[in-house]
Amino acid sequence: MNAAIILNNLDYVLIGAWPNGPVGGLTLTVILSVLSAISSAVIGIMLGIALSLSRGWPRKGLRIVLGFFRAIPVLMLIFWTYFLLPILAGFRPPEIATVVAALSLIGGAYLAGTVSAGIDGMAQGQWQAGYALGLRRQQILRLIILPQALRAMVPSFVNQWATLIKDTSLAYIVGVPELSFLAAQVNNRAMVYPTEIFLFVGALYWGLCVGTDRLARLLARTGQGEPVS
Amino acid sequence: MTLSSLSAVFGEPMAWRYFAWLLEGFAVTVVLSAATCASASLLGAVLCSLKASKHRVLALPVRTMISALRNTPLLVQLFFWYFGISAFLPSAVMQWLNTPHTLDLHIVSLSFPGFEAIAAFFALTLYAGSYIAEELQAGINQVDKRQEETARALGFNRFQCFRLIILPQAIIFAWMPITGQYLNTIKNTSLAMAIGVAELSYASRQVETETFLTFQAFGVATVLYIVAVCLTEAAASRLHSKRMMRTSLPATAGSGT
Repeated sequence: MNAAIILNNLDYVLIGAWPNGPVGGLTLTVILSVLSAISSAVIGIMLGIALSLSRGWPRKGLRIVLGFFRAIPVLMLIFWTYFLLPILAGFRPPEIATVVAALSLIGGAYLAGTVSAGIDGMAQGQWQAGYALGLRRQQILRLIILPQALRAMVPSFVNQWATLIKDTSLAYIVGVPELSFLAAQVNNRAMVYPTEIFLFVGALYWGLCVGTDRLARLLARTGQGEPVS
Repeated sequence: MTLSSLSAVFGEPMAWRYFAWLLEGFAVTVVLSAATCASASLLGAVLCSLKASKHRVLALPVRTMISALRNTPLLVQLFFWYFGISAFLPSAVMQWLNTPHTLDLHIVSLSFPGFEAIAAFFALTLYAGSYIAEELQAGINQVDKRQEETARALGFNRFQCFRLIILPQAIIFAWMPITGQYLNTIKNTSLAMAIGVAELSYASRQVETETFLTFQAFGVATVLYIVAVCLTEAAASRLHSKRMMRTSLPATAGSGT
């Protein structure tokens, strides 16, 4: 084992070339994860609601679209967004945007299924009680159904976020200088200490994933004690 | 839409030999996925039984390993095994692995897979195996605990009881989540392109750089992935319903009354 290879490249692996260049490494991995986590949660909640409230062919169509995103590899979707986003946007968006787009679409497709199942799992009586109180459908959803359903879904969201953190490593394939990319770069430069480099980088990812999981569990536990406002 | 406007969007139809590249890549994806699913299932069962072991010397390392495999990206694991193992293996072994070996059977010749394919198979097996172990564990938790006590009273030892009574039922309970892991494995083989395995994603990227027919190259690859995933899912759920009919297990796991 050789610790020097890690220590000599520590700054580079943690923040990339910053401040003399773009932010990279672990910091960029965290940025990518947070951006994709937020946008996949938004997409997941919106599509999940749409799936639960729609009937007939729009529902079928939505199911097929969601099924499509779940059936293709993340890598393939990154290829697609990398190629299609410039055509749709009319200019070349940064590579980071293509990766975040692909990750949030896939994460959103998985979460939509969870959200929809959570909404459908709420007792029908809650809707009826809401109507009896004179609330409109949208109000019932926002005030009664979603707060309860989303709370029950916290573990699924956290699992999805851990998956997202791991999937940000795929940004490697389009040359985004996140943690895995820089690790591969350092490895190619040194060539003799692959075990040390990838063990260290693996440990960083492990810390991120497990840390997210622990933190979310803690928040969920304290959150459950609060009265419903 | 006329044919000319179609070709304006998608380009001229791809030449047959590029399509053949994609099919070759697809064959690699299918073989790698099938081999990984088979070995990962075995590994999952072994890891799961070790984890359930009363001996902490056995259970603790397995737990640590599963946590490490599940909480790090597959890409990093692929790099770790690909670059890391080659640093540890004796140079004679590496040399043998890096030179092509073909077994000539007169009609067909089987070529021994290259080192990158072996490393990918190894990494994918460990990754999928650790997930399958956890799914099996969840299935085992659904099996009534008193069955184990009954079996022990009938003279089965712990291992026999696990293999003959608990595991077969756990597999049925955990079958759909395990199927999900098989589907993930098919999709995860795409990462093997990062270490140079010429599977479907690799082939699509290659066709794209060669022809610039991006829509067609990625389109064909995407369709092939969807076909593989849908067929596997359909086969798995057919098998499941057949199995459910053969056994008279309750659909939801009971703790019995």
